[in-house]
Order: sequence, then C-alpha cells, then structure tokens
Amino acid sequence: MEEDELLDQEHVEEILSPHPLSFMGLQSLCIFLILWGLIFGWLVNFSDFSGPFNNNALLQIAVWSLVLLVVSVIASIIKVLWRLFFLYLAVVLIAIGCTYWLSLFESVSVFLPVYTVVVSIIGFLMVEWFRRSHKYIISNQRIVFKGGIITKEQRTLRYDKISDINTKQGIIGQIFGFGTIIPISQSGFGLGSDQSFAGGGVQGGATKKVGFFGFFGGGREVQTPRTRSYYELHGVYPFKDIKKVVETLVQGSVSTPYLQKQVEYQEEQRDFQEEQRDLQKEMRDLLKKQKELTQTIEEEE
Amino acid sequence: MSGEAIDVVLFAPLAPIFGLVLFWFIQLLFIEFQKGLLNQLRGTHDALIKFTNFIGIFFQTICHALGYTLTHSGISSFYLSVDYGKVDPKKKKSGVFEWLVNMFLFVGPFFLPSFLLLAYFFLLSESGLPLRAQEVFTFAENLIVFGSNLFQFTSNFVVFIGTIDLFHPAYAGFFILFILLGLGIRPSYIGKKTMEKVDIFYDLKNIRYNILHKPLYVLLGLLIAYLFSYVNVLFNQSLYVAVFSFFGWSSILAIFALIYAEVLLFWIYVLDDLPNGFRIIALLVLPISYIILRIVFYMFSWPLAAEIGFWGSIGITSLITMLLLHQLTNKFKTLFTLNSVPRMSGGKK
Repeated sequence: MEEDELLDQEHVEEILSPHPLSFMGLQSLCIFLILWGLIFGWLVNFSDFSGPFNNNALLQIAVWSLVLLVVSVIASIIKVLWRLFFLYLAVVLIAIGCTYWLSLFESVSVFLPVYTVVVSIIGFLMVEWFRRSHKYIISNQRIVFKGGIITKEQRTLRYDKISDINTKQGIIGQIFGFGTIIPISQSGFGLGSDQSFAGGGVQGGATKKVGFFGFFGGGREVQTPRTRSYYELHGVYPFKDIKKVVETLVQGSVSTPYLQKQVEYQEEQRDFQEEQRDLQKEMRDLLKKQKELTQTIEEEE
Repeated sequence: MSGEAIDVVLFAPLAPIFGLVLFWFIQLLFIEFQKGLLNQLRGTHDALIKFTNFIGIFFQTICHALGYTLTHSGISSFYLSVDYGKVDPKKKKSGVFEWLVNMFLFVGPFFLPSFLLLAYFFLLSESGLPLRAQEVFTFAENLIVFGSNLFQFTSNFVVFIGTIDLFHPAYAGFFILFILLGLGIRPSYIGKKTMEKVDIFYDLKNIRYNILHKPLYVLLGLLIAYLFSYVNVLFNQSLYVAVFSFFGWSSILAIFALIYAEVLLFWIYVLDDLPNGFRIIALLVLPISYIILRIVFYMFSWPLAAEIGFWGSIGITSLITMLLLHQLTNKFKTLFTLNSVPRMSGGKK
C-alpha cells in the first residue's frame, strides 16, 4: 500500500498474500492433467493395452477427450462451476484443432501426452500468476483487498461495517497452517447462495382415451459465506494469528465499548458540573456573608 | 487320548495365533521406532508431522466408522481433522457390539489399511496366493505352515517391491499408497489442546483394557477359533491357518511399509544439515536420476531396466547426499581431516 493511500492516523498492521497451496482447487485441475497425460502416454505407447491404439489416431483422440470431458463434467457438478467444463472443452478443442491443422495424426500418441503436460504446466503458471495478483492489507482502520490479473479489483472494508466473520480451514490448510477468513459486511457482501432443485413427474391412466400427466418440482436457496478470492482473506498464513488480529480490530471498532466510554465521560462531566455548582453556591454564601459583615460594620460606624 | 490328539485338540489352534501376535508386536516396535524419528523432525518439519498424523487419524477414524457400520449401529456424525477424529453412532449398542467396535478402533488400524493394500498387491502380482496345504494338524505343523505361508509371501513381496516399475501407473499408485501406509499407520498424537501421545504403551493399554474389561468375549473368540480349527481338521482343510496367514501377510506388508517410510524419514532428517538450496538439489536427485536411468535403459534396450532404475536411483541419491554432507558439513570427516582444520584462538577447532 502506497503512503498516499493511507488515511488520516492510519497505519498498516499486516500485508498478506494467499499461501502457495491455497488454490489447490485450481491446482488439482492441473495435477489431473499431468497425471492423465502421463497415464495416456503409457497406455498408448508402453502398456499391454496399446494394441487397439496402434495406428488408430481417432481412437486415441476419442479416449483422451472422453476422459477429460467426463472428469470435467463430474468436477463441474461437484463444484457447481461450469467454467471447469468449458476450460477442459477448450483444452480438448485446441488439441483436436492442432492435430488436424498440423497433420499430427501419425504422431498423436506422442503429441497428446506432451500437449497435456505442457497445458498443465501453463495452467500451474497461470494459477501462480493469479495467486500473486492478490494482496490483502490489514490496517488499524480497514482491510483492503486487491486482486485480478488484467482487471484490478479492490474492496475496502471498515471494521465497523463487519457484521460477521466466517473462517474456513481445509485439511491442507490445517497441515500447513493457512486458512480463509471471510468478513461479511452489513450489506451482505461476502455471502453467496447454494441452490438446490428437485423435480418429479407422474403419469396416470393406463387406458388410451383417459390419462393425465403431471410434473412438480421445487427449489431451495441457502445463504452461505462465499465470495471471490480477492474479496476475502483467502488462504492467509499464519491463519490463527491473522484471525486473532482481525477479530481484535473488529472488536475494537464496535459501537458498544465506544458508547460505554462516552457515558463514562458524560458522568465525569456531570460530577464536575455538580462540583462547580457547589463551589458557586459556597462562593455565593461567602459573598452574602461578606455583604452582611460589611453592612454591620457600616452600621456600627 | 494320545499325545498327538491332545496336541490337535488343545494346542494346535493356538499356533497361528501366537505367530500373528509375534508379527503384530514386531510391527508395534517398528511403529515406535518411526515415532522416534518423527519426534526428531518435530519443530523443523511440522507440516510433515501433521500430515503423517492426519493419515493415522484418518485410518483410525475409518476403522471406527467401519466398526459401527458392521455392528449395525449406524453413523450419526463423522469428524476428521489433523489432530482429532470422532465418530458417533446412531444407536449406542452395548455388550459384544460395543466390544467389537472398540476392537475395530484399537486393533483395526494395524491390519485393515494394510489388508486393503494387500488386496491391491494380489491384483498386481502374478504369483497368486502363496498358501501351503497341510495334512497334519499339530501345533508344530500349524506353526510350520503359518511360517511357510509368511515366508513365501515375503519372498514374493520382496521381489515385487524391490523391482517395482514406477513408470507403470498401477505400480506407482501402489508405491505411493505403500509409503503413505508406512508414514501414517498410527498417529503421533491425538487432541489439539491436551495432546495425548500415541505410543506403544498407549496402544497396549487400550487393547489390554478391552481384553480385560470383557474377558468373556475373548474366550468366546477363542472358542470360535477352536471350533473353526476342529472343522478344518474334520474336513482335512488348511483354511484355519490360511485365515491367520492373511493377517500375517498384512502385518508383514505393514512392516515393509514402515521400513521404507523410516528410510525416507531418516533421509529427510539427514538432509536438514544441508543448506536450503543443496537440500532441494539432493531431494530432486532421486526422481530425476530414476527418470534418466529408465530412459537410458529403454533407449538402449538393456535388461533389468526397472530394477536397476529403482536401486540405481537410490544409490545415486545416497552417494550425492553423502558427498554433499561431506563437503558442506562436518559429517563423515575423519580425525585426520579435523586435525588439519586451523586452531582458533580459544584452542577449539
């Protein structure tokens, strides 16, 4: 964070980035590609099952593509993220396009494994680039989240606007000591939703003339803490310490202790005013006595 | 009743049980040795300690859950973390079911994961089940057949694991699972705030409690074993020893996994003496040398590629590690080389 970006009386407590293993979801897509590339290379070149693949480029492309697409569909359903499917589809289409335009049908048993491994290495580099684009600045007044490779996104969240803090720590996070902290703002920023739908149909009436068909269904939406990695403290290390820092800063900015201090101050002021009033009364009494004394002396004279 | 009859009726069924207990105890000793190695790595390799602990807790929790499932208790909650695992049943059963669940919890982790790996090994191996048939059912014969089954399996397994082809995905998968089993057969500790140390005494204490708590069930188990043995004698079968041989094989597999894992841990421990960059070089030597050796052997069509690739890469790695230790640290320095170090002002070398 630049000096000129700091507010009045603001100082930076921590500057953080996500842990290298915190994007394991994306990295596992690349790991799968590497594994599949190596297994496919072994399958079509060295294994006992290589017979049907010999000189049959179409079968090789079909098996290679099918496995990738099936896995991507399963991953998309599990993660509820169809982007994964389209990503793998793009990988498959580019491979088919290259094979066709560069006439690589003869050497497809070498090209496809090499291509898969190269794509996965590029994928790893892109994930790392994406990870490095994240920056979280925790100051004494706010948290600034920065991220994005091409389009730069930034979110600023003041501690008094945080209504809830959600934390997540997976198994790899527990092992390496990193985790995700999602500060949910009063406006609900930081909340996503899980949607589930169910449907069913029924057909009645066995006769040809009379029959009916009905379809019914329903859906449910559950609010859940979820946001993009550059709007949360994604995979920060050391998780426990950072969590404590954030919670302490949030606690320090909530209105209750502030109001309590104000009440104490007002009570002090009231006591002071009472003391002043007593003093004024005493002064008045003294002046009165002085006046009386002066009057008595004058009468005697 | 002749002496042999008494032997068959009274003592013969005990032979494979004794054999199994012996191998299980050897397994326990190897686990204890591994715990010692892991303790040496504590502080410098906390992530590795947590990882091995997680595998151990995972095995234990799965075994516990399996116990509840098999006793039809159901599972109401399943919690698993790096430090702690917990399974709660839907209906809490007492008596023999509770005892069985506890046996799954305390004894299961020693055998069940290795049992699964054993099944994987038999799928890969072409040698088949090395079971010896028997005609006599005395204590000595049962012990000999049990020992023979174990010996045959061990020979097959040593050949398999010593000549494993890591370029074959199924074999590479087996090797990874094998190392994972060795690293985390038992957790090092349980609990986050109040850590309970899991060592040989912890395991023995739990098992002793479970046995002494309900001795009747142990007697019942023994009775079933005796009856099974008599049925075998009656039908002239060697299934009784074969069943115990399966457990013995899983124990041997676990012992080998522990040996490999201990070598790996020892290597990591030794590498700690090296500066960071050289440590990474030493770590990379193992896979790179394996790949290079395999490619060279494949290109020139030399025989024994897998065997020489595996042992050659281990040899090269050991050699380079020792060379690095010799050059960069005081390890492997002789008295003569130390004497040649110039004396410092305090008289110390």
